Amino acid sequence: MTRAGAMLRAKLRIVRNHFASVRGESKLKIAVVSVSAILLWCGAYYGFWEAFNWLRRFGADPGGISLGDIIMSRLLSVFALALFFMLIFSNVLIAFSTLYRSREVAYLLQAPVPWWEFYIARLVECIAFSSWASAYLGSPLILAYGITNGAPWSFYVAAAAFYLPFVTIPAAIGAVIAMSLVRIFPRLPRGGMVGVSLLAVGFFFVYLRDVFSSVNLSDPTISGIIDAMTRTQSWLLPSHWASRGVLAAAEGEAGESVFYFLLIASNALMAVLLSAVFAQFVFYPGWSALLGHDMSRRTPPGRGVLSRIDPVLGFLRDPQRALVLKDIRLFWRDPAQWSQFVIFFGIMAIYVASLRDRSAAFESAAYRNWIVCLNIGACTLILATLTSRFVYPLISLEGRRFWVLGLAPLTYRQLVWQKFWLSVCTTSFFTITLVMLSCYMLKVEPIFFALALYSIIVTNFGLSGLAVGLGSLYPNFHEENPARIVSGMGGTLNFLLSMGYIVLVVGTQTAVMQWRALDAYTHAHTFAYALTAAVVFIAILSAVSTWLPMRLGLRNLNRAEY
Amino acid sequence: MIETQNLTKRFGTKTAVNALDLSIGAGEFFCFLGPNGAGKTTTIKMLTGLIKPSSGQALLGGFDIQKDPVKTKSLIGYIPDTPFLYEKLTGREFMRFVAGLYQMPASALNGSAEELLELFEIRHVGDQLIESYSHGMRQKLSFASCFLHDPKIVIVDEPWVGLDPKNIRFVKDYLKQRTREGMTVFMSTHSLSIIEDVADRIGIIHNGSLLHTGTLPEILALSQNPGSLEDVFLELTRGADA
Repeated sequence: MTRAGAMLRAKLRIVRNHFASVRGESKLKIAVVSVSAILLWCGAYYGFWEAFNWLRRFGADPGGISLGDIIMSRLLSVFALALFFMLIFSNVLIAFSTLYRSREVAYLLQAPVPWWEFYIARLVECIAFSSWASAYLGSPLILAYGITNGAPWSFYVAAAAFYLPFVTIPAAIGAVIAMSLVRIFPRLPRGGMVGVSLLAVGFFFVYLRDVFSSVNLSDPTISGIIDAMTRTQSWLLPSHWASRGVLAAAEGEAGESVFYFLLIASNALMAVLLSAVFAQFVFYPGWSALLGHDMSRRTPPGRGVLSRIDPVLGFLRDPQRALVLKDIRLFWRDPAQWSQFVIFFGIMAIYVASLRDRSAAFESAAYRNWIVCLNIGACTLILATLTSRFVYPLISLEGRRFWVLGLAPLTYRQLVWQKFWLSVCTTSFFTITLVMLSCYMLKVEPIFFALALYSIIVTNFGLSGLAVGLGSLYPNFHEENPARIVSGMGGTLNFLLSMGYIVLVVGTQTAVMQWRALDAYTHAHTFAYALTAAVVFIAILSAVSTWLPMRLGLRNLNRAEY
Repeated sequence: MIETQNLTKRFGTKTAVNALDLSIGAGEFFCFLGPNGAGKTTTIKMLTGLIKPSSGQALLGGFDIQKDPVKTKSLIGYIPDTPFLYEKLTGREFMRFVAGLYQMPASALNGSAEELLELFEIRHVGDQLIESYSHGMRQKLSFASCFLHDPKIVIVDEPWVGLDPKNIRFVKDYLKQRTREGMTVFMSTHSLSIIEDVADRIGIIHNGSLLHTGTLPEILALSQNPGSLEDVFLELTRGADA
């Protein structure tokens, strides 16, 4: 067996043992997570199925291909393109973590493993890490497309066959980018990584904006949309080969499908080969420089900024002040943490800023109200991602340092509420600013402005309560990596409950906004009652989402033995 | 067996290891001693090929670790102070994994893996996940896996953390026994009493530079007022600071 084989076999055993140990977890937790995952998949399938059916009926021509058919096939191509770029982006970060930051790397490198074997084994891990989520969410899309269009079995076989070479190419590209960055910027690897990732996202948005700039959203013409979708395709892009090959299989064009499969498979193999040759020369010098940088003593970045925060927190009394300062310092000094924060809100800020250009197009009040609802939806989704990713692990991250807190004259109640208020204050600043800006840009009515503001404020409380409460209820004191803490049972449960909470809040708000239009149509004058009921419902829901998990979490910490 | 020539590592403007010249023979138990931050770990990382020297070279078993890393690494075993182990593997699965990394034939693996698990008294937990092991058990598994491929050179970085007195005694005796059989041990530790017991030669490093090498009597003789190794070590490093 090769060394790469030994490494991959060990990984498979780890996965198997991991699944085996899940059996020992609470049955309720397993049931909640499994059912939620199935429901999410089914919901995605239903959404795609409805959308494809609607498109199929759109511009239907009994004798030939409908306009909807053309848009559908183009949509698949755009989806493949977006997925391709997203995979490159995520693979840069995953490759950095897998090739350089993982604790096992040092262990593997002291063993007699040739660089290329080490690289291949780690690349396979990168592919697995980066592709499972897109397979999970992409499969309902492919299935819905196939069923709606009555595709033959060869379509499903082709979709499965194209997937592996399709995800391999961005993984190899991402690994090469990560290795180049570490080699070029060994002193600022994470900073450089974040910078290049942001640049890549920026370029992608500029590219899309350029492509779609010809489409007038206030008067969208089908030919304009199809033209824009066509322009996202290039015969040089693997996403084009994959979508063309899969669509050819759906149309029964076996020869064309096989051609594209061989094209993408040979390119995937070549990408792996070239990246392995690249790794042979570039990986070790980069690793050595990075490890050398880690071993050198240095002054932490951001001392000036942090020293300015210290007096600002003067209104807090110790020990809360000490805890808040500690949390801010740790967050600030870990670019892997704050970079994701910047990326999420950066994208949202770019979007909100672009509303200025488009606001004239949204002349209809109903249209504007829908946009406001969608904005709040997007904002709360980002907020839920942030609370799940950053706030949920806060208690677990105290982990082995818990003895410091346990011996301090500090109650768990103070500790847990400190995390809660820190989360509320930090996230409120960004989310409230974004919602206010978007409402201002869209010139929404004052009543809806106020409702949007109200929703986002209470959502900050509800989501922070869920994250801190469940983080205390299911702490993982053995794990140092926040990403792994989040991917545990408790983290998944928190994310799913956060999603459910958002659906209820945003759904209620949307219903009230549309109620107004219905009210005007029927002259029923019930809008005031609906608005009051919505405000009360959101308040009660948020209070329960804050209080209940916090209470349960606190009870768990007080009962636990350390 | 271990030869360093002008081995130097610089981190920016700071020189962590400065022109280290060492020559350690086969079957020798060499103890590397120095205050915190003296350059011991950096030296070990260069010897194991984890970092590139800024200049100079490290030869192990006659091979340059930088030029011929795979051949060199197949000769060495490394036991870090806090070993990395896959939490979701069992002890036996981990041993099989290590055997795969060193490309050991399956026939050779089974016998020696079981023998080592037995020797380090962890055979009874061999089918349990490593995440359930105590710190001492992890350290013992790290030792067992290190000796699986019968290394010619073993590099050990402060291995005593988590081991009880009985196991410290056992590991000490085991390492000494293996050196009598021809294996070379390069050990970095702060446990001076252990060094006094096992070292054939001692190297003292301070601020990245090798101050002295010699046998225990030779090192003790460096002091104006010979006492214990502790007294001599403190005197030498204090003198170097001055």
